[in-house]
Amino acid sequence: MIQVENLTKIYGQHVAVDSINFKVEPGEILGFLGPNGAGKSTTMNILTGYISATGGRALINGIDILEEPEEAKRMIGYLPEFPPLYGDMTVTEYLDFVSDIKNIKGADKKKSMEKIMDLVKISDVRGRLIKNLSKGYKQRVGLAQALIGNPRVLILDEPTVGLDPKQIIEIRNLIKQLGKDHTIILSSHILPEVSAVCERVIIINKGKIVASDTPENLSKGLGNSSKLSLRIAGQEKQVLRAIQELQGVKYAEAQGVREPGTIDVIVEADPNVDIRKPLFNAMSRASYPILMMKSMDMTLEDIFLQVTTQEKEVQ
Amino acid sequence: MLAIIKKEFLTYFKSMTGYIFMASLLFFVGLFFVMSNLLSLSPDYNTVLSNITFVFLLVVPILTMRLMAEETRQKTDQLLLTSPVSLTEIVMGKYLGAVSVLFLTLAITWIYPIILSTMGSVTWSEVIGGYIGFFLFGSALIAVGLFISSITDNQVIAAVATFTTLLLLWFIDSIIGNLPTDRIAGMIFAGVLAAAVAFIFYMATRNLFVSGGILLVGILAIAAGYIFKPAIYNGLIGKVLSWFSLLSRYEDFSLGIFSISPIIYYISFSGVFVFLTVRMLEKKRWS
Repeated sequence: MIQVENLTKIYGQHVAVDSINFKVEPGEILGFLGPNGAGKSTTMNILTGYISATGGRALINGIDILEEPEEAKRMIGYLPEFPPLYGDMTVTEYLDFVSDIKNIKGADKKKSMEKIMDLVKISDVRGRLIKNLSKGYKQRVGLAQALIGNPRVLILDEPTVGLDPKQIIEIRNLIKQLGKDHTIILSSHILPEVSAVCERVIIINKGKIVASDTPENLSKGLGNSSKLSLRIAGQEKQVLRAIQELQGVKYAEAQGVREPGTIDVIVEADPNVDIRKPLFNAMSRASYPILMMKSMDMTLEDIFLQVTTQEKEVQ
Repeated sequence: MLAIIKKEFLTYFKSMTGYIFMASLLFFVGLFFVMSNLLSLSPDYNTVLSNITFVFLLVVPILTMRLMAEETRQKTDQLLLTSPVSLTEIVMGKYLGAVSVLFLTLAITWIYPIILSTMGSVTWSEVIGGYIGFFLFGSALIAVGLFISSITDNQVIAAVATFTTLLLLWFIDSIIGNLPTDRIAGMIFAGVLAAAVAFIFYMATRNLFVSGGILLVGILAIAAGYIFKPAIYNGLIGKVLSWFSLLSRYEDFSLGIFSISPIIYYISFSGVFVFLTVRMLEKKRWS
């Protein structure tokens, strides 16, 4: 659906996007992750035809955005970083204008506007001037604008910025729901959001793609040994000794006392060894009750920090 | 494009700008109508129109300052530029939106020649001709304002720059009268022009070789002109600057003469500035 080949954007001396390649399949929700200034917005602006690339090309459903811009733009709904709203218009007037420039006519226009306003829950503010709306509503009007004309591709630049937690969950669910019949690229620097919504993640840093995979695979690929965090009732020395005697334990480290009479321990096992059962049995025999045990898989945060600070290629 | 015209037109009346533009223009038309028609018992309406052309200096910047600048500042240009409309449609839509406000204002002023006709004889062909000239003259100035608005994202800068530019266009005839007309000055001027063209080409392409070539060809052409037909340098500066003299083209209309050449001039003048605005937006996307 979307194909990006050797896309490059250079501002003067600064390389904002450095020959990136990726593909998005129809119906896929792709997360675009990266620190501020990594080139996320620039890439999105090129994909939507707002700015031109210095090199390479971007195809939307096989149509080059630079060669046949109008044809390609018809298939894209775009929510930029700052929603492009006219403060002096009411919500209805604004969506009406957007429908007009996207060439939606007649009865379809009214119906699709109603549907979209219901979908993003802005029907109750339809008559108000946009400049008087709260940030959350503005963001949703921006999203409504992107949905007008039912484009097959949605490009959303930080769609949940400025929303309260309840709204964030609503918008995430909406995006998931839209993902059933749309191809979506979504950028964010909020990691749980990406892992909650996206099927695939591209991490971009300094204009280059540093990782591209499903959120699960990314976690597995980097966290190649399994770590456990435990809270055990008992004395530090005895508990540690009991754990270290177990087979398959790489090391065990005490983390101090957080609850009186207990000890927090981090245990790392050898690769591909599940030590949870032996550990439980051993502690049980020695009557050191395990009060808490949780696995310390690498979160997306860890991966993000790792790939963006080390610039390590991850496959 | 129709959607953009409609939006621009309505936006003028959502803020004060449209009302201020219309009120100032209507006030001065009314004032001069009373002074030069009613009080001096004259049926010549065209003097009213030519007397108030100076009002354009003040009201055109008000009309044009936000056209492109505000879109850039509010980042709403992202909506327009990522919609399935071409740059030319966007710019033309905005231009025609502003021009339609002028059109509406002038339509209201038709009441004055109608009042006049109840009291004396009005030559309607002259009035219609005068209105066409007045309208196209204003439209040409709006095109200049539109272009300047596309350069900056600050409305105040756009307004001041537009006012200054229009003022310069206003005085261009008296400036021309004070410029040297001898051959040497003409040749130097032609040389400066050739250098400017070469420089602009170099800024756009960074190709030193071709730019140098352009400069060389320009200098050779100037030298050839001096050898074969030196008379072309007589008053060259004035000739070139008078291309920008909008006001001198209005003289016919103020005398009630309807001629085609100023009409074509105003329309092409507007066309050039609309085109330059489109290029300006295009350039912003590539930089």
